[in-house]
Amino acid sequence: MNDVLALPWSEAREQVSPREYVETCLRAIETHNESLNAFLHVHREAQPGALPVAVKDNIVTTDMPSTCGSHILRDFRSPFDATAIARLRANGAAIVGKTNMDEFAMGSSNEHSAFGPARNPWDPSRVPGGSSGGSAAAVAARMVPVALGSETGGSVRQPAALCGVVGFKPTYGRISRNGLVAFASSLDQIGIVTKTVRDCAEVLEIVAGHDPYDSTSSSEPAGEYAHDLERGVQGMRFGIVSKAVDRLEGEVRANFDAAVDVLRRGGATIEQVSIPTIGYAIAIYYIVANAEASANLSRFDGIRYGHRSEMARTLSEVYDASRGEGFGAEVKRRIMLGTFALSAGYYDAYYGRAQRVRAKLRHEFAEAFKGVDALLTPTTPEPAFPIGAKTEDPLAMYLSDIFTAPANLVGIPGIAVPSGFSANGLPLSLQVMAPHFGERTLFRAGAFFERETGYWRTLPPMLAAR
Amino acid sequence: MKIDLDEARRVAALAHLQFDDAGLERMAAEMTKILTYIDQLSEVDVEGFEERDATVTPFRADEPHASLDRELVARNAPSWRDGLFVVPKVIEGNAGVATMGAAASTPPSREAGDE
Repeated sequence: MNDVLALPWSEAREQVSPREYVETCLRAIETHNESLNAFLHVHREAQPGALPVAVKDNIVTTDMPSTCGSHILRDFRSPFDATAIARLRANGAAIVGKTNMDEFAMGSSNEHSAFGPARNPWDPSRVPGGSSGGSAAAVAARMVPVALGSETGGSVRQPAALCGVVGFKPTYGRISRNGLVAFASSLDQIGIVTKTVRDCAEVLEIVAGHDPYDSTSSSEPAGEYAHDLERGVQGMRFGIVSKAVDRLEGEVRANFDAAVDVLRRGGATIEQVSIPTIGYAIAIYYIVANAEASANLSRFDGIRYGHRSEMARTLSEVYDASRGEGFGAEVKRRIMLGTFALSAGYYDAYYGRAQRVRAKLRHEFAEAFKGVDALLTPTTPEPAFPIGAKTEDPLAMYLSDIFTAPANLVGIPGIAVPSGFSANGLPLSLQVMAPHFGERTLFRAGAFFERETGYWRTLPPMLAAR
Repeated sequence: MKIDLDEARRVAALAHLQFDDAGLERMAAEMTKILTYIDQLSEVDVEGFEERDATVTPFRADEPHASLDRELVARNAPSWRDGLFVVPKVIEGNAGVATMGAAASTPPSREAGDE
């Protein structure tokens, strides 16, 4: 492997020309993508760029297709660039390819992609996580230094954890959603995958900020996210979400306890924090997210863009057959659940109640943050699972996001940082969550942890052996 | 919450999704399982918590902006003619579906004469 690719972006960019950097990435993609299926499209004539970036295929770009991992958009070419893409390009980034994903970002394993699953660089018989599995695999296999993903319930942090890289979801409204194909508008955020916390903070400086094309983007000042990286954690107060962690056993628990000790030794105080409603996060999530998805995905009707059924003869048949043919099983399942939850007679009992429990969860997080600077959990309840292990049991798949979904429901930022390895050599991960717009707190804690442990330096066997 | 076949059919019609019989049956079973898990939300005391968040999304000023390039929009359209999306006849009960035919899918770039 080319040494430049082993380095974080912040170091590599000092050592190679933009042209060389992009060409090196393109060669790495050529070498590894056949076995990993991380990229759906590669821009072989990508312009030289001091920041080579891979972008999840639900973030629209004018120079490549944007399929959302779905047959219904297999030929779609966006007439505009997403705001985050425009900002990256304006700062000298080269978009080298679009990454594989669960269809419309609905999944936790990448197995719901219409174009076949991406694979985990640490063990290609296992999932890379999802839905931004391609982005996480691309960074983990050192094909690119930076990738954008998207989050609705953990879709950046969970695959980053399973692939042993840094995954970050900002505060709701921190990065414009303009050009991110909508899944659940009150939860969706663009997220960032990198090798190191510094790279993540620096990329956020480029893409964060208010955007007139997204009214939900925040006017809160952005910038200087890399400011506190060297400060350490002396005097910081961390809360362990006891209800989330208590039931954990085995190596994930042992790894988490060891990670907490690293922060404690750095001078942080650790306390137990109670968030009683956190155990309901997945139940809330699968009502709220699916209700919003059922409305957002009504735009795919075979009329203005996307697949139109050849079988349809009436307008109603165009809708039903185009959607029936174009969407995969998981997308249909979620649209059905969301439509049900919003339908007459069930709205109050399902959508209304889920929103009220969500409000309670938000309140409990706000209370918890009165006593601590940040909250800690493992990022995932287990390391990467084998491809096929959960495809027959949607509920088991949903529970992969048990530690990540709360941050989306509450709107707070969260970061996943590599925290070591399981006995069979699979990455494990520590999650840190901060209050709204507490990104600097996350990066400060994450950078300290990363410096103390250095797990990001370990390469997957497929690269180490080369 | 048990979803029977009739209920699944009702929801599929609302969602504009076509299923074959086996697919609909499988969907009903999966929805039942997932909703049974979700039903635990009914045990939470939500007294004092409202369905709607108090924060309001601000509106932008209602000023005209440049819109999307029509040529680029047309390129993604399944069927397009004379600057319009072509769809089957909307009012049913008449002779047919004539507008969906071959003439409808001519790419816009070859229609300079129509402008």
